[in-house]
Amino acid sequence: MNARTFRRVRPWVQLAAVLLFLVLIVRAGNGRFLPADLFFRADPLTGLAGMLAAERVTAALLISVILGIGLALVLGRVWCGWLCPLGTLLDWTPSRRTRNFEPDPLPRLRSVKYLLLAFILIAALLGNLTLLILDPITLLYRAFATAVWPALVWLITAAERAMYAVPFLRGPVDFIETNLRGTVLPVEQPLYGLNVLVALVLVGVLALNAIRSRFWCRYLCPLGGLLGLVSRVSWLRRTVSDSCIECRRCARACPTGTIDPARGFASDPAECIMCLDCAPVCARAGQQFTPILIPAPRLAYDPTRRQFLAAGAAAVAAVGLLGAERAAGRPHLRLIRAPGAQGPEFLSQCIRCGVCLKVCPTAGLQPSFTEAGWSGVWSPVLAPRLGYCDYSCNACGQACPTGAIPKLTLEDKRLTVIGKAYINIDRCIPWADGRSCLVCEEMCPLPEKAIILRDEQIIAPDGSAVEVRRPYVVRERCIGCGICENKCPLVGEAAIRVETA
Amino acid sequence: MIRHFDRRAFLKQVFVASAAGATLGLAGCRSQPASQAANSVPSGSGAVTESPTTLPAIPAGSAYLAVARGAIDAGELTRRAIAAVGGIERFVKPGATVIVKPNICNAYHGPEYASTTNPDVVAAIVALCKAAGAQSVRVMDFPFGGSPQAGYKMSGIADAVAAAGGDMEVMSGVKYREVPITGGKAIQKWEVYGEILDSDVVINVPIAKQHGSAGLTLGMKNLMGIIQNRNGFHARGLHQCIADLSTTVRPQLTVIDAVRILTANGPTGGNLDDVKRLDTVIASADIVAADAYATTLFDLRPEDIPYIRLGSEMGIGQMDLKVIKIEEIAA
Repeated sequence: MNARTFRRVRPWVQLAAVLLFLVLIVRAGNGRFLPADLFFRADPLTGLAGMLAAERVTAALLISVILGIGLALVLGRVWCGWLCPLGTLLDWTPSRRTRNFEPDPLPRLRSVKYLLLAFILIAALLGNLTLLILDPITLLYRAFATAVWPALVWLITAAERAMYAVPFLRGPVDFIETNLRGTVLPVEQPLYGLNVLVALVLVGVLALNAIRSRFWCRYLCPLGGLLGLVSRVSWLRRTVSDSCIECRRCARACPTGTIDPARGFASDPAECIMCLDCAPVCARAGQQFTPILIPAPRLAYDPTRRQFLAAGAAAVAAVGLLGAERAAGRPHLRLIRAPGAQGPEFLSQCIRCGVCLKVCPTAGLQPSFTEAGWSGVWSPVLAPRLGYCDYSCNACGQACPTGAIPKLTLEDKRLTVIGKAYINIDRCIPWADGRSCLVCEEMCPLPEKAIILRDEQIIAPDGSAVEVRRPYVVRERCIGCGICENKCPLVGEAAIRVETA
Repeated sequence: MIRHFDRRAFLKQVFVASAAGATLGLAGCRSQPASQAANSVPSGSGAVTESPTTLPAIPAGSAYLAVARGAIDAGELTRRAIAAVGGIERFVKPGATVIVKPNICNAYHGPEYASTTNPDVVAAIVALCKAAGAQSVRVMDFPFGGSPQAGYKMSGIADAVAAAGGDMEVMSGVKYREVPITGGKAIQKWEVYGEILDSDVVINVPIAKQHGSAGLTLGMKNLMGIIQNRNGFHARGLHQCIADLSTTVRPQLTVIDAVRILTANGPTGGNLDDVKRLDTVIASADIVAADAYATTLFDLRPEDIPYIRLGSEMGIGQMDLKVIKIEEIAA
């Protein structure tokens, strides 16, 4: 097979990878399939940074480094051109085409991805993983799990509801509901507090295509930076031969703009994503992909040592700043983590992959915004009003690829305290209005309920003495699962809330 | 330009077609409650009836309410209790569609914790219905804690029902529809699971449990599993709403599982010390009478549970155990 044949195969591999990525997200948490974190096992950036920050070697992360770096050592940035689902989406997004050909209008920007990489790795050495939210796989996983898929679920359900009202359309609805609801489609609509923001970030990355094709991959992607550095010594590379007639077609076809007429149409292996788009357009077989064993030459846009030092210094400064932020010393009242994930070391172990967000059956785990401070933006936090921690579930710990959320047995998880419930007696129906309610007590899943009821004589607003049954939280029993807050029948804010334990 | 025109024309067609579909749908919606009522009035069959006071006639020789007791298989207790109230054939005609509604309120514990209906009781009912020629027997509930599938599995009901030839159904959010609650005092209309409304026969199979806000959860309370907006019940007064719902959704048969009862920390349970083994199954076509009898298992009186008293006052059924024919079967 020559490069042209491989070029014909590539879109299908890309399609398969995107479909697999989607299926893994949709299926995550629904029984045995491939591991939900499969793509992260080939993402060496989260792997490397994750192990540096946690100061320990984790199987899933080690695999990702060996697999990801190994692949780049042999085939260059083939991950970017063939497998990365975000890269594929960028290929599918229309991009700017110019009449006057100009391979790369912003060459100096290419160093941004390396500097971002340096920042992430230096920060990781100091225990900080905040900017892993810019890793393309975490970015896309979060966007699909908390924005795209829930929106799709809503649309499908709305369509079903409309169809169900029409008698002759009930058949297809019944089919979907019987076969997909509860397995592929969640029984209850998942809600996410930041879905619009998360979606806008993805849209923004795609929209950069309007400036140049694969803008993200050329200039910004920190994973692309890591794979690019390794690819400078990769085994298989594109070379230009003497039979090149300088027809410029390859340069026009190149989505990363790395084929440079000024350098005799040579390309930089650190920028080449091995997409092979140049192969079929080459008029005279003036190029080939061959094994090469010497490192690629330095180019003008490659970051200087001074720039690397500046990125490192910025990382040190940022870590210092985050260490002195409010959240570092005075945790937010609502910083409720997944079971067993308590403690400051959690943020040094969480690679922000977002798998726990998807496997949480109630969608209670949400990407945080304010609760975990700047350093914990988009790390998982439980929002009990949106979803409770299910007493019959320990999925997040089982799915977490780094052990940041420990793998607890169901028995242990049921004993793990993640917060404590407090009643707001100004809003609670029996407390504030003297009427009975007690849903929280009904919902409390503990064998010895953490919410107890007491019959009390009170003076009603009209002056009469009435007996009302009021709930109390027995704090030492409460594990903070939040089902009381989730099911509190008040509109808006619940009258019982889980707060940081 | 031509391409644009085509696209526009296509969109127009789609819009017209979907508008027509929506109109049809709305029309369908509006006509349904009426046809429902028309179907159910003459025979008294169907889960929905207009008049709250009508109870099906009791065949000669049958009991109004039966209680089977004894340290034998729970399925056998169930069969004996149902036989004493006229046999399953009284309720399930050949070709009927049947829904069995157990209490699977959460996915937390196995059946030995008595927070979910005994799987052997449910399986025995499914098998009886199949033997009576039911076209389909579906079993469903909507747990408040944990996913339906997890609850179905944990309760042991999924396996037992599959072995008995029935189907578990995940209650789908798209299948609820608003029905008038005729005779309702706190509520006049409510969204109810459509399949329950459309099924020929509904068999209500609660487990008898202590419950903080309801006192006890029994047959009438178990029907809260077929509505989605449960908060609305709490806001409008739980007991009156439960009674109101029972005026409209009327299971043909209520079988109360008291093989094990939960005496404290209900309805969720989780502590074996709160479980009391009674080896008892109650059956009656009268949901109020069945509930009334079940209160005695907890050393309470029917009038101690407000929804039972309200149900009796509204004519849904009889809570005075002295005026009905009760057959007690001891193993």
